[in-house]
Amino acid sequence: MSKTPLINLVGPPNSGKTTLFNIFSGKHFKTVNYPGSTVEYSSSDFLDKFNINAKILDSPGLISLNANSPDEEVAIESLFNQPNNGIPDLILVTADASQITRHLLLTKQLIEAGFKVILVLTMIDILNRKNLKVNTSLLSEILGIDVVAVNGRTEEGIDELTVKIKENLSKGKNIPDHNILSTFKDKDYLINTFEKIESISSKVIESVTPDIENANKQLNIQNPILRESTQKPDALTLKIDKYLLHKYFGFIFFLLMMGAIFTSIFWLAAPLMDLVDTLFSSLANYAAESLGNNWFSHLISDGIISGTGAVLIFLPQILILFLILGLLEDTGYLARGATLIDKPLSMIGLNGKSFVPMLSGFACAIPAILSTRTIPNRRERFLTIFIIPLMSCSARLPVYVLIIAYLTPPDKPWLAGFFLSFVYLISIILSVVVAFVINKFNKSLIKTQDDSSFILELPTYKLPKLKVVLRNSYENSKEYILRAGPIILVLSLLIWFLTYMPNHSPEFDKTGMTEEEIILLEKSERISNSYAAKIGIFIEPIMNPLGMDWRVGVSLIAAFAAREVFVSSMALIFKVTDDENIQNSLLTAMRDAKIESNGEPLFTTATSIGLIFFFIFALQCISTIAVSRKETGSWRIPILQLTIFTSTAYLFTFLIVNVLRMIGIN
Amino acid sequence: MKKASELNFGEKGTIKDIITLNPSYKRIIEIGFTPGQEIELVNTSIFNDPLTFSLRGTLIAIRKNQADCIIIN
Repeated sequence: MSKTPLINLVGPPNSGKTTLFNIFSGKHFKTVNYPGSTVEYSSSDFLDKFNINAKILDSPGLISLNANSPDEEVAIESLFNQPNNGIPDLILVTADASQITRHLLLTKQLIEAGFKVILVLTMIDILNRKNLKVNTSLLSEILGIDVVAVNGRTEEGIDELTVKIKENLSKGKNIPDHNILSTFKDKDYLINTFEKIESISSKVIESVTPDIENANKQLNIQNPILRESTQKPDALTLKIDKYLLHKYFGFIFFLLMMGAIFTSIFWLAAPLMDLVDTLFSSLANYAAESLGNNWFSHLISDGIISGTGAVLIFLPQILILFLILGLLEDTGYLARGATLIDKPLSMIGLNGKSFVPMLSGFACAIPAILSTRTIPNRRERFLTIFIIPLMSCSARLPVYVLIIAYLTPPDKPWLAGFFLSFVYLISIILSVVVAFVINKFNKSLIKTQDDSSFILELPTYKLPKLKVVLRNSYENSKEYILRAGPIILVLSLLIWFLTYMPNHSPEFDKTGMTEEEIILLEKSERISNSYAAKIGIFIEPIMNPLGMDWRVGVSLIAAFAAREVFVSSMALIFKVTDDENIQNSLLTAMRDAKIESNGEPLFTTATSIGLIFFFIFALQCISTIAVSRKETGSWRIPILQLTIFTSTAYLFTFLIVNVLRMIGIN
Repeated sequence: MKKASELNFGEKGTIKDIITLNPSYKRIIEIGFTPGQEIELVNTSIFNDPLTFSLRGTLIAIRKNQADCIIIN
């Protein structure tokens, strides 16, 4: 039986590899992990129109066949023997034509290793702008492989490439020599190879205006201008960088930019989040009204509809975040941002590339953890994943808002604003401290040693391609919904069950009550006799040292579905019966709440501040734990995160509540 | 003997050798820092690290301790 041929796409970062993959796969691909690792590759069939019967794989970007990290090792090893598909029949290697002296290294090594290779030259248009072109037939002759120039935007050259792929596939496959890899590590080999590549490129790069070229050739002039112009970075880019990478202004601009992103995650998204919120509450109300007052109706409205709402409420923020980050990345600024912030982050064991994931963490830890894949160094990636849950994600915002509203007089909104900024500041400082400490104990905690390095190509500035950016935001948002959605939904249903059962139809004296009052009283009766309440009473001994009782405990448990559930759960437990303005009536209920055992007020200044600190630290998010498990490849890090952060949260809250009490703040 | 990390802002130099000082010296070569190439220090950030060099028609940022491997004529 003959297997479907396998074509592996490889290339250096920024060489147009993914664009080519998207053209052939029509973006219908699935992403798979290499067995036993967190490194991913995408695989797809060719679109029908190409009429190529083969599977195409897109593996991570490679600079050379000399592995520089455990993840690169996985990617390189699998070229020689793809775990699920064997040896590739053909390798398509991409190279940026305007960076040909740097990008040909990988091609040379693949040829030397004995792979069957087609070289795909991209970014021909950039070279054209410099009035240069590549003589592909000469390059093909020198390298002894097929070379095709392709324009990723206009798809010019794709037809020729399709023909060459078919030709190469019909010639049977080569068996690569794995042993040769060791020679690639040799310094002299590398320098020699570069010298060869330089002599090749000086032969194949020609002026677009052949007359001058020929004239020069006849005069036997080794075209110095030609050499010069391939060696100079884009002039406009250098000019912009004079300002954006200016020693002082550059950093100020960076801080302003990040401040703007940070605020826009909140301000731009707020109206959309309100919209989602309103939509789902009215949908839940509508369902409850039309299905009547029974358990099934409550399952649909309070369980399923509200649960879906809990997933979708963060979608606006995630969309906006990825939209802005995508725009910045596509213009070329993001790489510069990572460069500017690398030094301070490297001092706590992180990397400049940790910055964007950390910033995303203020919206939601799940997309943030997913975006750490751009950090090549495993130790730094795991450390970044480790501290991301400490970034105060937006699910914590409703909780902070509630407690701060409780602590500050309503006529002084500026005080509340000040308080809230202070909370964010504290969470940033704490995450820095934690990263520093974890980094110190790296050997026993993260258990990955990986030489730290920072090598980043700063791309040429260009106008962002809106289509690409929109597409990426869509893909990222979809990924969030697919990964976090089911978990949040299932947990919402579980929490619904725990707070609804077993007293699902409570009996009490209903005389003189309106239907609405009956429904609301039923709700709070249900929860105070529910399984959740029993769990809450069981954990009360743990809550008492914090000056809190079982009701707060239950809400903290409910918050494991999603932190903002804390607020609605509090509203239920404290029998808040005014649907119009939940926050005000909840605040009143909180002011009147007494600890049942001793009659002392439950929400004092001390316990409220303590509660804020609990939320800053505690890892109360099952979805984060699940994603952290997936991205680190084991349970080790998520379990450490859960125990360290939640026990620190408890300890901090205990200390704060009791120290505040001792100094007379109650 | 001068290292690339000792170049001044805007100063050019030609690479003489790459020394095996930093574990990532091979990657430094692979990214294109090879003997004979002219490089220019185009940016030093506020922290003086990483350093951005113009090399082979592109801009590449590397950490200062990595730039220590690059010996300039």
